[in-house]
Amino acid sequence: MWPSISIAINQLLNEGMNSQQILDEQLLSGMAIVGERFKRNEMFLPQVLMSAEAMQTAIDILKPHLAGDSEARQQQTVIIGTVKGDMHDIGKNLVRIMLIGAGYEVIDLGVNVPAQRFLDAAIKHKAAVVCLSALLSSTMNNMKEIVQAFRINSDLKETKILIGGAPLSREFSQSIGADGYAPTAPAAVEQVQSYCEE
Amino acid sequence: MNGRERVLSALKRIETSRVPIGEIGGGYTDVIIQAVLGDKYDHGADSYFLNHQRIRDLLGADIVGPRVTGPPVEIMGIHEDWGTETFKDFWGATHTQPPSTTIQLVDPIAHSPEELASWRPPDVSHFDSSQMRRWKDTTDFFVLATLNAGFDLGYELLGFERFMKWTVQARDTMKQYYEKLIDANLVLALMSAEAGADAILIADDLAFNTGTFVDPNYLRSDYFPILKDMVTEIKKRDLPVFFHSDGDVRTVIPDLIDCGIDALQSCDPNANMDIPTLKREYGQDLTFMGNIDVDLLASGNVDEVERTTRDLIHDARIGGGFILSTSNVVASYCQPENVKAMYAVAHRELK
Repeated sequence: MWPSISIAINQLLNEGMNSQQILDEQLLSGMAIVGERFKRNEMFLPQVLMSAEAMQTAIDILKPHLAGDSEARQQQTVIIGTVKGDMHDIGKNLVRIMLIGAGYEVIDLGVNVPAQRFLDAAIKHKAAVVCLSALLSSTMNNMKEIVQAFRINSDLKETKILIGGAPLSREFSQSIGADGYAPTAPAAVEQVQSYCEE
Repeated sequence: MNGRERVLSALKRIETSRVPIGEIGGGYTDVIIQAVLGDKYDHGADSYFLNHQRIRDLLGADIVGPRVTGPPVEIMGIHEDWGTETFKDFWGATHTQPPSTTIQLVDPIAHSPEELASWRPPDVSHFDSSQMRRWKDTTDFFVLATLNAGFDLGYELLGFERFMKWTVQARDTMKQYYEKLIDANLVLALMSAEAGADAILIADDLAFNTGTFVDPNYLRSDYFPILKDMVTEIKKRDLPVFFHSDGDVRTVIPDLIDCGIDALQSCDPNANMDIPTLKREYGQDLTFMGNIDVDLLASGNVDEVERTTRDLIHDARIGGGFILSTSNVVASYCQPENVKAMYAVAHRELK
């Protein structure tokens, strides 16, 4: 799909750049520009989608090298899904795409996801952050059940929970005990980055 | 003054004693209709027409938004995740309807730009416009015939991400795709005109709450010229054209005006589409419809709905060019009491 990326990465590796440097200096820095330009309406969804796809291709090529590089940072995992009862996925997909672009391993559970699947996935993948999406007033209340399930599970107490979707607000996020609320996809990426840097 | 006359006055920027009010498309989901009508809900063979007429009469709505209808969908099987039937629509895409949500695409009309290039839309000339005619002949509602164009329908048939990427990767094929979809929808528009529609509504979501999905310059070069041809053809029948898009479309409002659009619907306050503000800038050229947040009807209380509706009418009615509606349609999750309150305020707040 993106043969030029494979050529470029192999060239950088042959020139002696290590895999973490390529990720940080060539890829993530480029995606940061994409995110900024998207936020300023200077770049649009098709370009973000293609950039993220290119980024994913690059990460797949780099993965074996990162695994063999003792100085490489471990890629952090984010779980994302639309909560039970809700099938809307455009906003959730945009956040997924931008998180991939920001260098995270993203496990997308899809739509209509019950609480237990979020828990199982967070444990299995040792997720740093779980992102919950809802577009309906009637389904946003299902988020509370998910947050409570995480909070009483001793393995998941440290997992950050970020929520997003049209009817939500910071106040709602606080009222259900989530760690944060993101009004836009770029804001979601910034929040996830801040959690992972803590 | 009946509903038809009231909406036509709004389009001519004539302020009426009561602001026109109503919804686009089906307007009200069956859950809401049952809740509002109670014992008056009809269960007979003609229930769709009767119930949609009754809820509009009961709420005091001015508008009905029928579609020219196609053949029944073809049942394909059961969706393995959701357990709901999968069905192929007349365009050739397969969908399913999971409970309590919107239709989901299961299999698109094309998996590659090459497949899309050879795709042909179905012949729609045999579609049925008798319900449109019935609304016109037997009621005083403003008949706002609902159809699509090339963008929103385009990604519903292809899948959103595939569509968006192909706008860059297969630009010529996508332009041809828009033309094919618009040609088919123009046939439906002309059938609607024949059946007595008072106006045509083009439902075509172009934007998120933060702006258009694609670069406005792309829309200007590759999409709006085709849309303009469609609108021009419709207006040769002396029909006004409404345009519905969710989201923040402020950057392309001048383009929509240039296309010949007469009224813009949705105007979601969550997307910075405040009608009084928009009227100050574009009110000479465009009528605005919408502005009541669907989520307010879902999670607000009656007092909040009444206050918001009253304030909006006060600020937006001056000089006409305003039609009150939700910023989408009355969804199943709205509170029936809030819906009734919104409509009741419109009937109380007379000039």
